[in-house]
Amino acid sequence: MANTKKYWKGIDELNETKSFQESKESEFSQSNSIESFLADDQLSESSTGRRDFLKFLGFSVAAATVAACEAPVIKAVPYVMKPENVTPGMPTWYASTYYDGSSYASILVKTREARPIFIKGNKHFGITKGSVTPSIIASVLGVYDSERIKNPLKGGKKSTWTAVDNEISKAIKNANKVALISNTIISPSIHGAISELKSAVKGEFEHIQYDPISYSAIRSANESNFGKSFIPSYDFSKAKTIVGVNADFLSTWLMPTEFAAQYGETRNPDNKDGMSKHFQFEAVMSVTGSNADYRGMTKPSEEENVLKYILAGVKGMSSTVKLSSNLKKTADLAVKSLLENGNESLVVCGTNNTGLQQLVNEINNQNNANGTTIILENELHLFQSEEAKLLECVKGISTGTYDVVLFYNSNPAYSLPKDDLKKALKGKKVKVTVSLNSHADETTTLCTYNCPDHHALESWADFHPKSNHYALAQPTIRPLHNTAAALESFLVWSGKKVRGGKNSTVAYDNIKETFSSLTTADFNMVMHNSCVKLEQPMLEDSISFNSADYAPMPNIGKGTEVITYQKTAIGNGNHANNPWLHELPDPITKVTWDNYITMNPVEMTKAGYKTTYDQENGLSMAKITVNGVSKTLPVYPLPGQAPGTVGVALGYGRGGNGEKIGKSAYQTAEYGGYEVSKNGKPKAIGANVFPMLSTENDEFTYSNSGKVVKVDGEYIIAATQIHHTVMGRHSIVRETTKEIFDNKGKEAYNPAHTLQTLDDNLNHVEKPVSEFDIWDEHPVENVGHRWGMSIDLSSCIGCSNCLVACQSENNVPVVGKDEVRRGREMHWLRIDRYFASDEEAAVGTKKNKDSFSYDQAEIAALNPKVVHMPMMCQHCNHAPCETVCPVAATTHSNEGLNQMTYNRCIGTRYCANNCPYKVRRFNWFNYPSYKKFTEINPAQDDLGRMVLNPDVTVRSRGVMEKCSFCVQRIQATKLKSKIDKEPVADGEFSTACADVCPTNAIVVGDWNDVNSKIRKSSEDIRSYQALEEVGIKPNVWYKVKVRNEQNNLLSKLQVEKKSHHGSNNKHH
Amino acid sequence: MYVHSLNFDQFSSRFMKITNTQRVKSIRSHLMGILLLTFISLSPSYHSQGEAIFKAKCATCHAVFQNGTGPKLYGAVQRWEDAGEGELIYEWVRNNAALRASGNSKRAAEIFAEYKGSVMTVFADLTDEQISSVFEWVDSQDPNAASGGGNQANTENGASEEEEGGLPWTWIILGIMFVVIIMAVSGVRRQLKIATKESGIETDSLTYIEEFKTWAWKYRLYVGIVSLVLVLTLFVGLFKILYTINVMENYQPSQPIAFPHDVHAGINGIDCKYCHNSVTKSKSAGIPTVNVCMNCHKKINGEGKEFQGEIEKIYTAAGWDPTLGPSGGYKDPEKGNTSPIVWNKVHNLPDHVYFNHSQHVVVGGLDCKQCHGDMTKMNETAKVQPHEALNKIQENIDSKIEFTKPTLTMGWCIECHSQSGINIAGTDNAYYTEIHNRLKKNDYSLLNSYNDDGKVTVKELGGWECSKCHY
Repeated sequence: MANTKKYWKGIDELNETKSFQESKESEFSQSNSIESFLADDQLSESSTGRRDFLKFLGFSVAAATVAACEAPVIKAVPYVMKPENVTPGMPTWYASTYYDGSSYASILVKTREARPIFIKGNKHFGITKGSVTPSIIASVLGVYDSERIKNPLKGGKKSTWTAVDNEISKAIKNANKVALISNTIISPSIHGAISELKSAVKGEFEHIQYDPISYSAIRSANESNFGKSFIPSYDFSKAKTIVGVNADFLSTWLMPTEFAAQYGETRNPDNKDGMSKHFQFEAVMSVTGSNADYRGMTKPSEEENVLKYILAGVKGMSSTVKLSSNLKKTADLAVKSLLENGNESLVVCGTNNTGLQQLVNEINNQNNANGTTIILENELHLFQSEEAKLLECVKGISTGTYDVVLFYNSNPAYSLPKDDLKKALKGKKVKVTVSLNSHADETTTLCTYNCPDHHALESWADFHPKSNHYALAQPTIRPLHNTAAALESFLVWSGKKVRGGKNSTVAYDNIKETFSSLTTADFNMVMHNSCVKLEQPMLEDSISFNSADYAPMPNIGKGTEVITYQKTAIGNGNHANNPWLHELPDPITKVTWDNYITMNPVEMTKAGYKTTYDQENGLSMAKITVNGVSKTLPVYPLPGQAPGTVGVALGYGRGGNGEKIGKSAYQTAEYGGYEVSKNGKPKAIGANVFPMLSTENDEFTYSNSGKVVKVDGEYIIAATQIHHTVMGRHSIVRETTKEIFDNKGKEAYNPAHTLQTLDDNLNHVEKPVSEFDIWDEHPVENVGHRWGMSIDLSSCIGCSNCLVACQSENNVPVVGKDEVRRGREMHWLRIDRYFASDEEAAVGTKKNKDSFSYDQAEIAALNPKVVHMPMMCQHCNHAPCETVCPVAATTHSNEGLNQMTYNRCIGTRYCANNCPYKVRRFNWFNYPSYKKFTEINPAQDDLGRMVLNPDVTVRSRGVMEKCSFCVQRIQATKLKSKIDKEPVADGEFSTACADVCPTNAIVVGDWNDVNSKIRKSSEDIRSYQALEEVGIKPNVWYKVKVRNEQNNLLSKLQVEKKSHHGSNNKHH
Repeated sequence: MYVHSLNFDQFSSRFMKITNTQRVKSIRSHLMGILLLTFISLSPSYHSQGEAIFKAKCATCHAVFQNGTGPKLYGAVQRWEDAGEGELIYEWVRNNAALRASGNSKRAAEIFAEYKGSVMTVFADLTDEQISSVFEWVDSQDPNAASGGGNQANTENGASEEEEGGLPWTWIILGIMFVVIIMAVSGVRRQLKIATKESGIETDSLTYIEEFKTWAWKYRLYVGIVSLVLVLTLFVGLFKILYTINVMENYQPSQPIAFPHDVHAGINGIDCKYCHNSVTKSKSAGIPTVNVCMNCHKKINGEGKEFQGEIEKIYTAAGWDPTLGPSGGYKDPEKGNTSPIVWNKVHNLPDHVYFNHSQHVVVGGLDCKQCHGDMTKMNETAKVQPHEALNKIQENIDSKIEFTKPTLTMGWCIECHSQSGINIAGTDNAYYTEIHNRLKKNDYSLLNSYNDDGKVTVKELGGWECSKCHY
C-alpha cells in the first residue's frame, strides 16, 4: 500500500523555487560536469595523480594482505588447581531450579569451563517434568549482562558492603516501621531470614508480597468457597474436557511449565483412552487459544455470562443469560462435553476477579473435578500477591509512615497501576530506601541504597513451590561481580551473620539448615536431583466446597474493551532486557521487538486502519486511552480477536526514563546507537500499559473499557511472517479431525502424492512420489546412521521453546528490529503460524478452479483455526541447494545430513534461492563486531561472549547458515558411544529443539535403527513430508494435525479414494 | 629437506612474531631433532614389558637416574640386596604400607623416613616377573647416555647451520652475476649502436621496445611457448608459496618457563597422558595445570641455579612455599598467592575446525607421537613437527601412513583419514560391530567395495565429510 505522506527532497522543492524548477528538468545535476572534472589540468598536476593513487591503493592492498598473514601469538592459561569436576573441553551439567517470581521450573544447566551456556528442563526430576518456557531458556544470557550492578551503591555511587551494611543495619534497628516489598517468596530460607530481620526491628515490620500479574482472585474465591486462601494444583493430563476462559495456561497463566506437558499428554490422537477436547473462550488470540479445538471469541464483559451459561448447563438447567449465537454454539458444545466427561474435566479462568473464580469453582465442583483434575491438598505457593496491603503501603510511603523500605525482586515503580509509588519515593519521606535488584531499574533508581543480589545462576537457593515439593538451586558460576546473596544480606542486616565475601558460605549454610529441618533426605542426593518430595502435610480438616455469595463481577464500562495481556517472551517485563526474547517472534503475531494494539482485521478495515504491512510499509497508529492513561501504538491485525475488543501486551516500555536496565532494552538506531527521545534518553521499546490497570475491589483488573482513536502516521513493525494463511499450499500443512482419523483410512486425510508413469506393459500407472528418484540415491538408507526428525503437528503448541534453545545452542546471532524487518533474521528454526481462511476450510483437498480464488485464500477467517509448524532445514536426500552450490560448500553426508561448510562458502546465495522451504539464512553482517549490533548482540562484549557455545563456529559475514541438526551433538553422541563401546542407543542423541519441547512433539534419532522412535514415527500413518511432491526426499517428517472437533465440511471432503496402486503407500 | 625447512624458516620469521634468536634456535633444534630422529630410526627399537610398566605406573614418581617424589630406580635392586632384603623388594613394590606395618623390613622404614612419610601407591596386581622386568629394564639403561648426548648434538648443529646458511647466498651471488652480465652485454650493444650512428651509417633508429617487438614477432612460436612455460611456472611457484602461508610447522614461540619435554617425557619417561590428562576424556589434550606439576615438584626443586630458577616459577604460580612446615606447604590461595602460568599456545586450531583428542587417542588408538612427533627427544618447548619427521615415527611406518602435506593442515588430516583403517569386523567395540552388521545386512556390495584394499578406511566411513570437522 502506498505511503500517504509526501516527502520533499529539500526546502527548495517545498517552496518550488525557480532554480529547483530548472534543475528538476535534467536528470543529473549540472553544476560540475564530468568533462570539466576530467579536463581539470590542476587535478592532473597535483602531487598525487590518479595513476599514483591507484598505485598506492594497489600497494596498500598487497601490504594489507601480507600483514594479514601474520599469526598472532595466542595465550593459553590453565588452572592453577584444577577443580575435580571440570574437564576442559567437556560440558558439566548441574541440576538446579529456576524461579524468577512468576515462572518456576526444574532445570539442567550446561556449563563449559565453569560458564553456564545452556538451560533446559530436567525431565527426570521435579514437578515440571522437563518443561521450560522461552524466558527460562533465555535467562542464561542474564548472568552475562554487562549492565548488571557490579557493586553496592549508595546514592547511585559505588560503595562498599561494609559501609552500606553498617548504615542499613543501623537504620533497620532503630526504625519505627519497616516495609519489605518483594515478589512472592517461595524460599523457606528467605522467609526464615525475613523473620530474623523482623525480630531485629525495634518497631513494626511489614512484609508485602506483590506480583505484577496477580492471581489473588483465585485465592479469595477459594477462601469463600473452601474457607482457606490457596491455589490448588491442577492436572490437565487427567482432563478429557478442558475449558479455558481467558487463561493462557500453555504460555503465561499460573504454571505453564507444568501445564504444557500435561496438556501435551492428552493431545495425542493415538492415545488409546481418547484425546482431550479443548474449549477456549478469550478475546485476544493466545497460544492456548490457538490450540483449542473450539474457540469462542469472548469479550471480557461476556465472560461472566459464558461461565453462568456453562454452570447452568452442567447443572442441567436452562440458562437465562443471553449469549451471542456463535458463543452459544461453542458453549453448548462445551457443556455437552463437560457432562460427558464429568470429573475428568477442568475449567479454568484467567481473569483476576473473585466473582468469576467463584463461578469456576462452582462449575468444577458440579463436575466433581476436585480430586481428579484439581488437587486441593497440594497447594501452590506461588502468587501470594496482596494488592490491598501494597496499595496501603504506597500511601504510607508517601505520607512518611515508614522509616525504612526494602525492595527485593520487585519493581513496583514500573508495574503498579498508577504512578503513586514513583511520586511517593520521589517525595523522599522515607529516610532509607534499599533495593536488592540487579539493575538500576525504575524502582532502584529511586532508592538510596542498592545492594545487588547475585544472578540466579550464581547463587544457592531453596524453594517450596508446592506443599509436597522442596527444591534446591545451586550456583553454576562463581559470582562475576561484587554482589551478595539477598539471603545473606537479610541475615547480615538482622545481625545474625557477618558478610562472607566472595567465597561466602552464609547462604549455603543457612539453606542446609533449612533443608535438615524439612526433610531427612541426603542433601547431596537432593542436590543431584535438585528436588525432593516432602511428606504431604496432613490437613486439619478435609477441605470441602461450600457455595458462597458471589463477589462483584467485572464491571466493564461501555466503549472498546481493552485487554492487557502477557506475551510469551516478554511476560511481565522482567526479561525486557533480553535480546533473545525480544527477537523471538510472538507465537501468534510473529512480530519481534515491539508491542502493539491487536484488533480484528475485519473491524480494522471498517475503521480505516491498514491491514497489510511489509518491510517498507508500516501499520496505522492509534491512541488508546484507558483510565485516563493514553498510549500511542501501532495497530496489528490479529484474526480471532473478539470484535469490540483490543489487546495490548504488558511488559514493554521499560527503561524509558534513563534507567539502565540492559543494553538491549531500547530502540536501536539504524546504524547503531539508540533512538533518542526528546528528553535525550534512549527510547524504550513499546509502551508501558501497566498504568492502564484498575484496582477494583483491591484486585488488579487487567481488562477495562477504553477509547481507541486512529491517529496519523505509520509505524513499521518487524515481523518474521507477514502472510497469515497457508494460501492453498496443502502439501505443507495437513490436518484432519479426530472423527475422520478414527473412522477413515490414511487415503482420506494423508494421501500419498502420486505421479503417473509407465509400467513394464506400457500402461499408465500412478506411483507414490517416494518411489521416484531425481538423482542417484544417496547411500544413507540402512547403512551407517541416518539422522531424522519427526514433528507431530498435533502436539506442537507453538510455545517457541525450540526457537530460543536453537539460538542458544548454535550461537545464532541477534540481528535487531531493522534487520528482521528486512527479512534477515538469522533463526535456524522458525515456527510458521498458519491461520485458516474461510476459503480453505478443507486443507488437503483440490479446489474447483472456476470458483476458487487465491485472493480469498489469503484472508484469514474471522475466528480462524491455527496451525503451528516448526520449520528448519529438512536435510533433503535430494537437496536442491547442494546441486547449485558452485563451490561445493553444501554437500550431503553419508548420515543423511545436509552439511554446510562455512569456510568454503563464498556467499552466492544460490542455495537459499533454490531451497523450497526457505530455511537458509545468509549472514549479512559481522554481527559480533559491526557497530549496528553493539547494543543488541550479546557476543559484542567480553561478558556476553561467554555465553557462546564453544563447539559451534561463530559464523562470519558472507556465508550461508542453517540448521545443522545440531551436528555437534551428533558427533558428541557418536564419540561417547565409541568410547563406551556401545551402539548409539535410541534417545541418546537429541537436538536442542527436541530437548526443550514440553509436549515431546519433536522426535529425533537414527532412522537406520529399525527399533528407534524416529523410525516408527516416520512410518506412522499420520506421517507426511512437507512438499513431498517435489521429490527431494527430506529427512524430516511431519505428522498430520488432528483436531478433536466436528467439521462437517472437512468430513465431506476428506474421503477415501480408490487407490490405483494397491496398498503401496509405504514411506521411504 | 634442509633447504626446504630453512626457506620456510626465513619465510615464517617474516610472518610470525619470532625473534631472531628464536629463529636460530628453532633451526638448530629442528636439525637436532632430525639428526636424533635419524639416529633413532636406525637403532633397533626397544619395547620391553619392563619399559611399558615403568612408563605406565612408575614414571610418575620415579626417575631412572634421579631421586624424585620417590627414589631413583637405577640400582634399586642392588641397594635392597646390599641391605640384605633383596627378596622383599617385590612385596615393597606391591604394597609398601603392608610391608612397613609388618615390621619385617628395616629398609622399608628407612625409605619411608627418608621421603618424609610419602606413601607409595599400592600395585597389588603386579607379579614378581613384571616387577623384575621393570628393574631389569631400568638397570639396562646407560647412565652416561642421559647427560652426554645433548651436548654433542648441539655442537653438530652449530656447524651444520653455518654450512646450510651459505646456500641462498650462492644463489644471490649467481643472480647478481647474471644481471651484471646482461647489463654488460646490453651496454656493449648500445655502445656499438652509438658508434655506428656517429660513423654516419643510417639505420632505423628503433627503440629497445620496438626492436624487441620485431624480434618477438619473428620468433613468435618460441616466444609463445617460453612465455607460457614461464607464466605457468610462476603460477605454480606462487601457489606453493601461498600454501605455506600460516602453515605452523616449526612454529616455536618462547615460553614463560623453559620446560624441557626431553627431560620429563624422555629421561624421566613420564607418560604424556599423565600431564595432558584430559586427552582421553575431552576434545583438548589440556595444558597441565600447576597442581599436576606440583605432584612431583614438591620434592624436586632442581639442581643448579638455572633449573632452580625455572622450578621457582612453578612455586610462584602454585603459591608454594618450600620453607613452610617440615616439607613445604601452600600459601593461602584466597589471598592471591597463586598466579596462573600464561603459556604461549603452540597448536592453534582455527575456529571453524573441530578436533577431538579423545576420538583419536581412545577410539582411534593413536599414540601422541604419531601426530606430535617424538617429544621425548625435544629439549625446547613444544612445536609442531614437520611431516617428514612424522613419517619416520615407527607407528606411522607400521600403519603405512605417508604424509606429504604440512602437518596440521587440512591436507594432512585427510591424508591420514584416507590411509588409516578402522577395524570394524573383528572388534570388541559394539559400536563398530553394529555399523559392520548394518553394512553386511543391507549393502554387502558396499562393504566389499570398502574392503577392496584390505581395510575399511576412515574416509570410507565418512571421515572425509565436511561436517565431521566443520560445524
